[in-house]
Amino acid sequence: MGLDFKFRLDTSEHAISIRARRPALVVDIDGQAYTAHESAAADGASVLEVDGRRHHVWRAWEGDRLHLRVDGRTFSVGYEDAIVAAQQAAGTDDILRADMPGVVVAVHGCAGSAVSAGDTVLVIESMKMQINIVAPRDGVIETIEVDVNDAFDKGAVLAALHPST
Amino acid sequence: MFDSILIANRGEIACRILRTARRMGLRCIAVYHHADRTAPHVALADAAIELHADVPTAAYLDSAQIIAAAQASGAACVHPGYGFLAENAAFAAAVEAAGLVFVGPQPEVIRLMGDKVHARAFAEGAGVPVAPSAIQDGSLDDFVERAAAIGFPLLIKAAAGGGGKGMSIVHDAGELTERAQTAMREAERYFADGRIYAERYIERPRHIEVQVLGNGHGDVIHLFERECSVQRRFQKIIEEAPAATLDPALRARICTAAAELAARAHYRNAGTVEFILAPDGAFYFLEMNTRLQVEHPVTEMICGVDLVEAQLKVAAGQGLPWQQEDIVQHGHAVECRICCEDPAQDFRPATGSVRKLAVPQGDKLRFDGGLVEGQAVSAAFDSMVGKLICHGTDRTAAIDGTIAALRELVLLGVDTNIDYLVRVLDHADFRAGALHTGFVTEHAAALAPPALSTDDRAAVLIAAALGVTDFRRLAFDTPEPHASIGAWRN
Repeated sequence: MGLDFKFRLDTSEHAISIRARRPALVVDIDGQAYTAHESAAADGASVLEVDGRRHHVWRAWEGDRLHLRVDGRTFSVGYEDAIVAAQQAAGTDDILRADMPGVVVAVHGCAGSAVSAGDTVLVIESMKMQINIVAPRDGVIETIEVDVNDAFDKGAVLAALHPST
Repeated sequence: MFDSILIANRGEIACRILRTARRMGLRCIAVYHHADRTAPHVALADAAIELHADVPTAAYLDSAQIIAAAQASGAACVHPGYGFLAENAAFAAAVEAAGLVFVGPQPEVIRLMGDKVHARAFAEGAGVPVAPSAIQDGSLDDFVERAAAIGFPLLIKAAAGGGGKGMSIVHDAGELTERAQTAMREAERYFADGRIYAERYIERPRHIEVQVLGNGHGDVIHLFERECSVQRRFQKIIEEAPAATLDPALRARICTAAAELAARAHYRNAGTVEFILAPDGAFYFLEMNTRLQVEHPVTEMICGVDLVEAQLKVAAGQGLPWQQEDIVQHGHAVECRICCEDPAQDFRPATGSVRKLAVPQGDKLRFDGGLVEGQAVSAAFDSMVGKLICHGTDRTAAIDGTIAALRELVLLGVDTNIDYLVRVLDHADFRAGALHTGFVTEHAAALAPPALSTDDRAAVLIAAALGVTDFRRLAFDTPEPHASIGAWRN
């Protein structure tokens, strides 16, 4: 379950991923494991328990920043959308790769189809989320390596653009 | 008593005046600029009249429109709050000329105290100590020579000034001419009056001020002092009553001097006489503010009075509601100004919108605010959006209560000084009462945010992750987050 969620706190970036969901949620932060449990507090905030320590949490989003009040201190955390990042990572060159293991949900176009930058070439489902795999640039599809319902591994080549286009 | 009132202000002070006026049974009329159309002071009022101006602040400075609004709405009196037109003698005169009552002093008293040079001379004549000074009333060279003769460091101020604008500290003769020229230019720009003066800068000064109330016929009482020594950019951020530490005999002398000064001016209304207190116990007249002060709630808390009610009674000609001996203080009160600003960036004003607001409640607590969730905090108005005031049986209890309340206060969506205020209040020197107006600068390093422990950082990051819908979906295997918990990004 290796999908990294990236947050910027003060000047440093931190990656959070899920190690286990049951019996308790265990997350990995910069290589260290923490057990977490969240419940609603009476005042509309949340009570977050991390390794048995309780924290009082308020949240408010503003664009891609999450403002938090944790135990009477305010933090502003920058969030890099993992899904958007995965899409961008998948389309950095002519080869469209899977950033994580998953299943193909839909295929748009076929070899020889012209695409514009940002067009969805494939829709995949990974970690219970549907993710659009988009064309990184204008061009022509050279190959599509997968069909609907195909499973693939992390790093698999899903499609490629014609290099000369 | 009046049957109605127009409140010529906005934000927390408009709401605060409304509360008392409403309790006293007055019909309340608000004025507002379009930018404030959803603001609480508009919603709270019985009627609200829009003022038109391109720039929002200009609306609240537009005497003619405000007086027309008062007449159209049938208001019996006009309360100016603080700031905007509160110390504008021409406005006070125009309100009275329109047949309305101005809840404030006589226009000539506003004019006298508004001119810092004349006010100093008046104070001196009343036997109130003033710091050695030089007034720039002729050539610049002559002024520089006389100022230098006082000795350095010097504080340069605008004669028509206030709010810290046009003020600067000059440490040696080499920079005096240039700084004087800059101050004159700033004074001209801010106050349309380029006159300046220099006075001896008292090292490690404390700011002590006295609340007074006069009936306009020479009868004045005082409601003890406040200490407002914790300032940034020459503006107060934490005030308390009584002063942190003050010898009882000195306190009596300062309070008496203030009341006598106001009596000599035949002062009418609530007002504040401000002093600088030197480490050796010498005190000097700073200025008199002829209006309700931002920090008036700490006085109300310790004296158990409502100063707005007193202002209205005096304005209605009912005289002073109390004799001096009726004024008794209990315990200690602290006020923190909640400002949208970034203390890490030299307190630069911050803008944004209020995404989450949760205000602590308690019988020793008071939150004077003019904010609602969803409201924009723009650069158009002052960065102060509210005040948290806490009473305690003694100073330590008041500080502890204020810290606890600040930690409970939630204002998310725009940078605020809330956490910074906690660090100031919890600083050993603050707790010990070792205050002076350079406190914020002197303790800058100690007042910076402490580093997070690894565990605390993990809690913040997990709290952040659980605010992301995609993360929750992965973590809890539920497509929609439990509706009663927090806020998530869609």
